[in-house]
Amino acid sequence: MNPQNPTDEYLLLIRGTHWNHGMSPAQLQRVMTDFYAWVDGLAKQGVHRGAQPLVEEGKLVSGPRGATVTDGVFAESKEAIAGYFLLGVPSLDDAVRLAQACPILEYGAQIEVRPIADLCRPMAEVKAFGS
Amino acid sequence: MTEDLFRREHARLVSVLVAQLGLPRLQLAEDAVQEAFVRALQTWPYRGIPDNPPAWLTQTARNLAFDQLRREQNWDRKQEGIGNARDLWMGSGTGEVPDPTDGFGDETLRLLFVCCHPLLSPEAQTALALRTLCGFSPAEIAAAFLTTEAAIAKRLVRARQRIGDLGVPFTIPGPEDLPARLEGVLRTLYLLFNEGYRASSGDRLVREELCHEALRLTLQLTAHPILHQPRSCALAALMLLNAARLPARVDDAGNPLRLREQDRTLWNVAMIQRGVEYLGLAMTGVELSEFHLEAGIAACHSTASDDTSTDWIRILAFYDQLTRMNPSPVIALNRAVALARVQGAEAGLRSLDALALRTTLDGYLFYHAVRGTLSAEAGLGEDALLHFRRAESLATLPAERAFLARRIAEIPR
Repeated sequence: MNPQNPTDEYLLLIRGTHWNHGMSPAQLQRVMTDFYAWVDGLAKQGVHRGAQPLVEEGKLVSGPRGATVTDGVFAESKEAIAGYFLLGVPSLDDAVRLAQACPILEYGAQIEVRPIADLCRPMAEVKAFGS
Repeated sequence: MTEDLFRREHARLVSVLVAQLGLPRLQLAEDAVQEAFVRALQTWPYRGIPDNPPAWLTQTARNLAFDQLRREQNWDRKQEGIGNARDLWMGSGTGEVPDPTDGFGDETLRLLFVCCHPLLSPEAQTALALRTLCGFSPAEIAAAFLTTEAAIAKRLVRARQRIGDLGVPFTIPGPEDLPARLEGVLRTLYLLFNEGYRASSGDRLVREELCHEALRLTLQLTAHPILHQPRSCALAALMLLNAARLPARVDDAGNPLRLREQDRTLWNVAMIQRGVEYLGLAMTGVELSEFHLEAGIAACHSTASDDTSTDWIRILAFYDQLTRMNPSPVIALNRAVALARVQGAEAGLRSLDALALRTTLDGYLFYHAVRGTLSAEAGLGEDALLHFRRAESLATLPAERAFLARRIAEIPR
């Protein structure tokens, strides 16, 4: 059993970095207007706690003492993380419901909804073992 | 953020970049602007809209273009061991800086004349100009040409190939080259206006900003000493006379209104006046273009005080002339409407039955809407229903579907 406990914060990971390529300025405009309205809605409901876009390229560090550093093409561009939104909502269902209303899903972007945990799993296991 | 930021900024940014990079780098400028929009969409929803969106877009597009040039220059240096700072900014070094006294007075207009190169087919010129300078998607261009998106995509690829193969120079044409390019530019502006007048995509039936941009460029064009031709003035007249009626074309809920349902007090009298003046300027030569005839039709509508006093006989005569000049199915369709007003709905339907190009029109919403209307008027309820249903299936805008649903509900049964 997972000894981690969810908090009242949820991370929406926006997956897909190329879904908006090949659109005309008018289409881009429409998506921008819709996407922004969604963000605005989060702010108005008071659940918006932060958001950042991510640069597509980065490095992957691994191995003992971080000896291996590679250019991370981390995933297919369909799954690569484009950015995140941090939401303050009481339940996973609420977070999922807000994610479902995001207009970019229509264009092939995906949203992963992850509860923010009180502790990382190894720490939680140590704590559970100690008690 | 204003609703039309990207479309408005597209032409401006391409123009600004081309002025800095040189005309041979039109493609690079276009790509950089497109990428800047994509970046905006990847950034603004997360971090908020910048204080000055146009400045943000300009800086981003400029940086992207500069990065690309630097990559190319490094490549060139490896190839040939040359390259200097001027080349970096002026593209390949053959870049041409526009002469501000060449009379265009507008960067977009200047670039329209660059795109409409006579070595390209007329369709390719227009498709390229609509794509590059007006920011149209292939789907929007396809709607303007009554063809498929795939056909337009192919046409654009071929146009770019031809530019490469023939080494078509993207240079500002001198005064002696302007007349040969005028036709393509006017056609492009005409299509730009039409797309605004009856939008094929988006959620609004009318995109007034496109109409006004087309009108602005056309009026600017008529101010040029060489380009002040009768047909340029005719196009300006056509746009003024039609744009004047835009405020009455949809009701408060955005639903389209038929001419006879429109509140004529909303028509812009000053614009109609100006349109009539331009029509006068267009009549100064012996030339009679399609724009003349269409402007004549628009003048008949715009100067009629109500629907019943509209001079349909004269309108029909204009359409007869237009059909002789350009036997296009769309003109034939409009002629059928005028014919029905003069000789009755059956006559209109018969003229449509006689059309050789009916298959072209089968995927065209307006064709089925007209057939539905005329059939209903002729008391052929079943035919009317059939065509309105088909039109409904072709409708892309909610307002169009609502309009057709009302027509279906009106059919007596």
